[in-house]
Amino acid sequence: MTDKTWEPKIIAFLCTWCSYAGADLAGVSRFQYPPNIRIVKVPCSGRISPNLILNALRTGADGVLVSGCHPGDCHYISGNYFARRRFALFENLLEFIGIEPDRVNFSWVSASEGEQFAEIVKDVTARVKELGPATHLVKKFNEAA
Amino acid sequence: MKVYKFDKPGLEAWIKKWSETAPVFYPAPDASENCGIHPGWGKMTEVVLPQSSGPAKSSLKTFYFPQPEVLATSSLKKNDDDGLLLTEPAPVVEKQVVFGVRPCDGRSVELNNLPYAEEKLFQQNRERTVLVGFSCSEPKSTCFCQATGGSPYGIDGLDILISRQDDHFLAEIITDKGAKLAENGLIDAGSEEIAILEKLRRENAGNNDKGEKLKEKDLSSLYNASFWNRVSDSCLNCGACTFLCPTCYCFDIQDEVLHGRGQRIRYWDSCMFPLYTLHTTGHNPRGLKVQRVRNRFMHKLKNFPDRFGPLSCVGCGRCVVECPVNIDIREVMDDLLAVE
Amino acid sequence: MATINSKISEEIRALAGKLLEEKKIAAFLGYCQGSLPMTARPFVARTPEDTDKLIWNSFCVLNLANYLPELLKSLEPPRGPRDPAPEGPLPKVAILATGCWSRNIVIQIQENQVDRDRVVICGVGSRGMVAQAKVKELFDGREILEVIEEDHKLLVSGNGFNEEINRWNVVRDNCLTCIHPDPVIFDIRIGDEAGQRKNDNRFAEVEKIDNKSTAERSRWFTDEFASCIRCYACRNACPLCYCPTCFVDDAKPQWVGKSIDQVDTSIFHILRAYHCAGRCTDCGSCESVCPMGINMRILTKKLTSDVLNLYGSEAGMALDAPLPLTTYRQDDPQNFIITEQAADKEGE
Repeated sequence: MTDKTWEPKIIAFLCTWCSYAGADLAGVSRFQYPPNIRIVKVPCSGRISPNLILNALRTGADGVLVSGCHPGDCHYISGNYFARRRFALFENLLEFIGIEPDRVNFSWVSASEGEQFAEIVKDVTARVKELGPATHLVKKFNEAA
Repeated sequence: MKVYKFDKPGLEAWIKKWSETAPVFYPAPDASENCGIHPGWGKMTEVVLPQSSGPAKSSLKTFYFPQPEVLATSSLKKNDDDGLLLTEPAPVVEKQVVFGVRPCDGRSVELNNLPYAEEKLFQQNRERTVLVGFSCSEPKSTCFCQATGGSPYGIDGLDILISRQDDHFLAEIITDKGAKLAENGLIDAGSEEIAILEKLRRENAGNNDKGEKLKEKDLSSLYNASFWNRVSDSCLNCGACTFLCPTCYCFDIQDEVLHGRGQRIRYWDSCMFPLYTLHTTGHNPRGLKVQRVRNRFMHKLKNFPDRFGPLSCVGCGRCVVECPVNIDIREVMDDLLAVE
Repeated sequence: MATINSKISEEIRALAGKLLEEKKIAAFLGYCQGSLPMTARPFVARTPEDTDKLIWNSFCVLNLANYLPELLKSLEPPRGPRDPAPEGPLPKVAILATGCWSRNIVIQIQENQVDRDRVVICGVGSRGMVAQAKVKELFDGREILEVIEEDHKLLVSGNGFNEEINRWNVVRDNCLTCIHPDPVIFDIRIGDEAGQRKNDNRFAEVEKIDNKSTAERSRWFTDEFASCIRCYACRNACPLCYCPTCFVDDAKPQWVGKSIDQVDTSIFHILRAYHCAGRCTDCGSCESVCPMGINMRILTKKLTSDVLNLYGSEAGMALDAPLPLTTYRQDDPQNFIITEQAADKEGE
C-alpha cells in the first residue's frame, strides 16, 4: 500500500466460551496485539451466519476473523462442527467470486490460548494490511446522486 | 411537423453528433455493454441501428424511475448542516438521449404520465430525456400494440421518430425537444415519402376495442371469475413481468444508513411480492398468490382504464416472452372478455 | 409418428385421468402447452377433464417440485396458526418427477415441507431439457414461430426459414452435465428408465472459473451479475426457496439493500446460492427462468462440487441420507482454519 498510515478495520466474531475468553486472557496477561480488531461476542461459532460476515464487509470492514472453540471443545457439543462445514463452503464460494482468501479468516482459539490469540490477531492484521483496503462487496452511497 | 430524410451514413453521423453534447443510450444487444444503472441499455460509442422489429429487452422506465433513486439524504450527526434533517438532493437536469425506442415504449411514458402527472422526479426525468423512436416495420408475433390502442408507427411520447423506407430513413421531428437535436442543415423529405409514411400509419392504426369492452364489464364479476385460479396455479410470483413491463410503475421506499449518513431511496416494487401489501400488523390483504395475480391483471386491464381511460398495457409483449411459466396477458384479456 | 415424448404424454394423461377419476388424488401437477414456441406451462389438473391438456416435451424446464409445498398446503382445510392439525388423511397430490425434481422432493420431505404420504411421485426419466436461449442464439435475430420436436431433432421454422437442428446440441448445460437423469424415488414410473449418463468432468464449467486469477474472477462475477434487475425469478423458481420471509425482505436488520446497487445485487446472489449449499440438485430452473440471461447456476454448481469433494455427498439421493450441512464428521477437512494451517506447519 502506498498509504503508510492506513490501518485496516477487522471485525472479529468470537464465541463467548473459548475465543472471547482467550482474548480476555490475552488482555489480562498483557499480551499485546494490534488494535485493528473490533470484537463481536457471539454465543457460539455455530451462530455465525454468512449474512453477518457479508454484512461486515458490506459496511466497511477490511477483514473478518471468525473464531470458535477447538473441535471437540464446543460448549454446545457440536456447534463448531456444523460451523466448520458452513465456513469451508463459504470461504470457497467467496474465493470463487474473487474475494481475496485472506480477507475472511477462520480460527480455533481456546480459553487458555491468550498468547495464541494475540499471535492470530497480529497475523490476520498483517495479512489484511498486505491486501490493502477492501474494494469488493463494500457498499457505497452514490456520490453523484 | 418537420420531416427529414437521411441515407444510412447521414443518419449515423447525425446520431453520433448528439453524443457530443449528451449521453446517448441505446438497447444493448449484449449484457457486457450494460451501463450499470440502466440494465439492458448501453451508452453509445458506436452507432448501432436497431433491428427491424421488437422492443428492447429492458423497458424504457429505467430512465424515468431509475433505481435506486435518491429521494432525500441526511446526516446522523447532530452538528452537521443536514444533521438529522432530510435534505432533498439537487435536481438532476443534465439532458440525456435515448435512441432506438419503439413506439410501444414511447407510449408507455405517456401512460405512466397519467398517474405521475404531479410527481416531481418523474417529471424532472421526463423533462431531461429526449426520446428518439424507431418505428417497427415488421412487428414480432408477440407484439400486440395495436390491440391496446398503440401503433407500430405511433408517435405518442416520442420526440423524434425515425422510420426506415427502402434504403433511406425518414425522421419526424415531433416535439420542441426533438427539434433541438435537428437544428442545422438537414435535408427535408419529399412529400411523396411523407405520404407513404402517413399511409402506413393510417393502415396500422391502433384500436382500443378490447379495452372499451372491458370497461363496460362488471367489475365484481371479472373479479370473481373462476379462471384466475388456473392462471395463478402456474404463477411463480416473481417480478419478471412487472420489472420488464414498461407500464408497471410501483415502487417502494427504504432508508439505507451507512457510516453516519442516511439515504432515502426509491426502487421498483412488484405487486407479485407478498411484501407489497403486507401491513405492519402482520395482516396481508393480498396474502394469496391468486389475489396478487388477479390484482396485476385487473389493474392493467380494468382498474387503470376505468380511472384514466386507456389500458395500462402497450402491447410490447415482454411479459409474454420472458414470463418463466408463460403466462400470456393476451390470453388473460380474452379470458376476461369471455366473462359474462 | 409417435415420439418418445408423445408416448409419455399419453401415459401421463391416462394415469392422471385414472388417479383423479378414482379420487386417489386431489390434483395432478404437470405441464400443459404454452402459448409460444418452446414453452410449456406448469399446470394443475384438478378434474379428469383437465387431464386432456397435460403434455410432456423437452421444454418442461421449470422444476415442478417448486409448487409442491404450497399446493399441498392449499388443499388442506383452512385453519389458524394455532389450530390443531385436521384429523384423517389429507388430500394427495400427484407430481411428475425427473431425476433432479425427484431429488428436490426428497429434500422437501427431509426438511418437513412435504409429507411423503401425501404425494404420489410419477417418475419420468429425463432426456435433458432444451434451453430456449440456445435455440434462439442459433437463429440470431430471426423470430422462431414454430418448433416441432422429434426424438433427436428439432424442426425450427419462422418467416422464410425452416431448419432442422440436433436436439442434444441445444440441451441445457445442467442437463448436459447431469449424471442422475432418472428419478431416485417414485411410486409410478412413466415411460422408460433414463439410465445412467456418463460424464467425464461434470464440473468443467466450475474449473474454468477456478483456474482464473482472483482479479479475473472478481471481474467475471461483477460482469455476470451486472444486468440483474432483482425480479427474484431465480429465487421463486427454486424448489429449495420456501422461507416465509426471505432474507432480502428483512428490513431490520437490513442484510442487503433492495435496489440494483452492484454490491447489494452481488450479496443477494451470493447468499441465495449459499442457502442452496448441499441442497441444490442442479435442476437449472433458476437459470432457465432468468429474464436477463444471467448464469447464476454456476455459483450453486461450485457449491455442489465442493460438497462432493469435501464431504462426499450429493443432495437428495436418498431419504435416509442426511443433508450435508445438517450433519458433520469429526475429521472434516479444516485446512482453511488459520490455526490449523499454523499447526500443520509446525508438524512438518
